[in-house]
Amino acid sequence: MNDPYSVLGVDPGASDEEIKRAYRELARKYHPDNYQNNPLADLAEEKMKEINEAYHTITRSRSGGGGQRQAGGYQQQQQQYTYQQQYTGGDALYAQVRQQINIGNIPQAEQLLRTAPRQDAEWHFLTGYIAYQKGWLDEATQHFRTACSMEPANAEYRQALSMMQQGGSGYRPAGYGYAGCDPCTTCMCISCASPCC
Amino acid sequence: MFGYVRARRDTLNAAGLADYEAAYCGLCRTLGRRRGSFSRLFLNYDFAFLAMLLAPGDAPCTALCRRCMLHPIKGKPACGESRWLDTAADESVVLTYWKLRDTLADGGFFARMAARFLALCLGPAYRGARLECPDFDRAVSLRLTELRALEEERCPSIDRTADCFARLLSAAAPRTGSAPRDRAVGQLLYHLGRWIYLIDAVDDLAEDRKAGRYNPVAARFPDWTEEDRLYLRGSMDHSLTLAGAAFQLLEGNRWQPVMENILYSGLPGVEELVFSGRWRDHQKRHRRNGP
Repeated sequence: MNDPYSVLGVDPGASDEEIKRAYRELARKYHPDNYQNNPLADLAEEKMKEINEAYHTITRSRSGGGGQRQAGGYQQQQQQYTYQQQYTGGDALYAQVRQQINIGNIPQAEQLLRTAPRQDAEWHFLTGYIAYQKGWLDEATQHFRTACSMEPANAEYRQALSMMQQGGSGYRPAGYGYAGCDPCTTCMCISCASPCC
Repeated sequence: MFGYVRARRDTLNAAGLADYEAAYCGLCRTLGRRRGSFSRLFLNYDFAFLAMLLAPGDAPCTALCRRCMLHPIKGKPACGESRWLDTAADESVVLTYWKLRDTLADGGFFARMAARFLALCLGPAYRGARLECPDFDRAVSLRLTELRALEEERCPSIDRTADCFARLLSAAAPRTGSAPRDRAVGQLLYHLGRWIYLIDAVDDLAEDRKAGRYNPVAARFPDWTEEDRLYLRGSMDHSLTLAGAAFQLLEGNRWQPVMENILYSGLPGVEELVFSGRWRDHQKRHRRNGP
């Protein structure tokens, strides 16, 4: 494992409070919620694992090398993302498509969907999910919307559409909290206190 | 490219601004040194971003003060010779050349004449640059051909058309041998490319409609209502969110604060200006300001 202090970006002489602050900032950055359905979710999970290990190594060594993990650390949740939820429908083709998506084989999943005999709500949902993985955000939204209109009670479809309508979720560094900032107007937010025009 | 990818000077601190200017001037000098003075005319902010992105974690910003045509007396600090500046400079020449060729194929009479002249002048620089980045040269040629075919058939899908440019841009980062880094950079550049293609389409919307030219946004949103505008902005912001998420997975370098400023402040600011129709005026007023 890399030097735990460099993983957290702190000096070995840093105080406990500084280490906790650095750890929390990194945990906020790589939190699974920020990478939900993101094709890079596995990389974020790796990063999260690395900083968790670094934090626990430091806290263990500072508390005298005890084997117990310190309280207060981020407990990584093994989240099951939208597409990984258990598929209870009876269609074997869709089960196969989900399986291919779960192992990251998007082209094969796409190929299988092309052979579907009908375009029902599940077909639109899975097509939308694949479009999202490819970065085709408009088509993903259209397919999720169609899936929701065909099966309005399906929570999985509604969750996917809601994610698109919210524009995804993501970490923003300190000072960049407000996205819709107009560079020609004196904004009241702290990140752009002076006008540029 | 198009010059939309720029930092917000008012939200960038002095050290960040100095590093940004040094990278920009370093790229300009690299273009002149490697590909001749004429190629410097096509320098833009987008490739300064690419250069900073390609810089490795330990890349120093050895900014030496150098004189140039624009700063003949006092000179300007510019990053010294480096591999990442070389790559960005060569790729900027390759893309500019192919864009000129693209205009030659489908532009108006005067645009074609200008493009023919400029492509002729840029030819020797292009022939040198393509030898250094043959993969990127192939990717640009292929994607622009695909894009032209979609534009000719007046494709109503913004995703399909934007995908060509997005894939073109994601090919701009050479493989490093680190799969996680290559995936993250590829994803960042894909969504940045998607955003650039769409912001350019919105910027040209009124002109294209008047001239009866194809515009992907007009094809997808024939009525262009307020709801459509909000929807498209939401989709473009979503691309910026995904680009930002990919950026956070990269090892930082000296220009990380500048690139964060670009992704989280510069691009949303440009988007606001373009959607409110003030971008071109803003450009005219700030043309002399440098990065």
